[in-house]
Amino acid sequence: MSTPEVYSIAKIPVTCHAFNADRSQVAVSLNDNNVQIYTKQGKEWIVTETLSEHDKVITSIDWAPNSNRIVTASQDRNAYVWSLSPDPLTGKLVWKPTLVLLRINRAATFVRWSPNEDKFAVASGARAIAICSFDPENNWWVARQLKKPIRSTVLSVDWHPNNVLLAAGSADMKARVFSAYIKDVDKRPSPTIWGEKLPFNTICGEYTSPAGGWVHAVGFSPSGDTLAFASHDSSISIVYPGGPFIYNIRISSLPYVTLSWTSEDALVAAGHDCQPVVFSGSEQGWALVGTLDDSTASSASKGSGAKAGAVGRLNSAAFNSFRNADQRGQSGGGDAAADTELLTVHQNTITSVRPYAYSGEGVVSRVSTTGVDGKLVIWDVNAVTALAGKMGGLRV
Amino acid sequence: MSFRKIDIDAYDEDVLLESELYEPDPRDPAQALSDAKQKQVVVRSALAKGDIPGALDIALDSAPYGPNVEEAKNLTLQTVVLILNSTKSSEISNVVKALSQDAQDTLMKYIYKGMGMPGWGDVSGSVLLGWHEKLTEIAGTGCIVRVMTDRRTV
Repeated sequence: MSTPEVYSIAKIPVTCHAFNADRSQVAVSLNDNNVQIYTKQGKEWIVTETLSEHDKVITSIDWAPNSNRIVTASQDRNAYVWSLSPDPLTGKLVWKPTLVLLRINRAATFVRWSPNEDKFAVASGARAIAICSFDPENNWWVARQLKKPIRSTVLSVDWHPNNVLLAAGSADMKARVFSAYIKDVDKRPSPTIWGEKLPFNTICGEYTSPAGGWVHAVGFSPSGDTLAFASHDSSISIVYPGGPFIYNIRISSLPYVTLSWTSEDALVAAGHDCQPVVFSGSEQGWALVGTLDDSTASSASKGSGAKAGAVGRLNSAAFNSFRNADQRGQSGGGDAAADTELLTVHQNTITSVRPYAYSGEGVVSRVSTTGVDGKLVIWDVNAVTALAGKMGGLRV
Repeated sequence: MSFRKIDIDAYDEDVLLESELYEPDPRDPAQALSDAKQKQVVVRSALAKGDIPGALDIALDSAPYGPNVEEAKNLTLQTVVLILNSTKSSEISNVVKALSQDAQDTLMKYIYKGMGMPGWGDVSGSVLLGWHEKLTEIAGTGCIVRVMTDRRTV
């Protein structure tokens, strides 16, 4: 299926989303302190449950596919692990929360289960990452913090496939790789390209992009041998630690805030540009390949007046409508609704892109995105169209 | 007492300093100033020969940045403004296309710096706006974002 599946699940921004293992349900935070669980019924997503326990906005959700547990992190400095268990009164399966004491004194910003689902990492504004593992003796989750040398809020984390290494992107302009080895939970990891013999809180690498800027998103490639990060200076950097070779691709549009690898040599990034974009390359070099959003296909239905360019360009529909009002005394323009719509599927920043379907070991065939416009869209990763032609053609 | 007036961040031992966020300019102020003066001489002779792209390349290469090199920064701005003013508007596009990505980003930094100092030296708003428009068409809004994000201010 090449055309993206678009679902408008809310009228308010979607902060984050996480699908369950068979993709029949998605847990979503609508910028408030509840988790909404939507279930797919026919062609629609319907809210089936609301999980309320947090006191403040939930910033991140992750759903472990094998153990079927949800972890949520919130600005109230807590994380909860939710698991399905039968309710004693009714016998139905309900989500039961377990509080995790993170011991951070600032908001939690991001959370991810490790590949084996026995640990999870919570990034926070307290300049620390809390690595939480389950202690079966006391039946609760224990947190250990990675602190040095993080100097500012940690914005995102990603686990390496070996369940021990963790990449973290932070507001002090650096992307780092830490070892999050917990003694009783992990077996000694075999040496990787990032290093060997790695006690807890060892730094395996610290990288930055030339123009700096907050590192919004980090990701390990499917094998774990390459690291990619997106930073606020509108660039993507790919790090091969063997050299180390760092390829920094500067893009001519607004910064990306989220990324996801789709195979060993390609990744999808999305952000303030409102469209997912594909990069591809190898140890020899990386380049922008194209966008997953083929706007020419959908623009046919939008009427003739819509000359809306890509976000931020001077020749946009808003500019035209003000110019019409000034020079010709026309207010509103010919087709007011279409003039303010973007040509891309998402009408606002994409805040989260995650793998949806796999076509092989470590190869992603479809990704899901949610954004500030309240839409959930599922894209086919191989439907790539070149960007350059579009930018050229949109000039007035 | 006057607890509300104390600057609490001054007492924070672990505060994040501006200088930790980027690599400082490796040259010392005197070195940076002499580099800037030398660049100005070379640029003037290039302009006399009518070689605008060459002059721009030299002026934008290893631009001084950071807190200690004010004189060098002002001198380089003057040099860049001189080149921008001497280019015919029909040639701006071609000149910008010939620049490397680094040079395009640095040029955008100088354009914004000039726009922030109207009336200083030879700075002319209309010339800067013309260059800004052409540069944005070619380098995109990403170039502008990089100017805003980069801590290495020229």
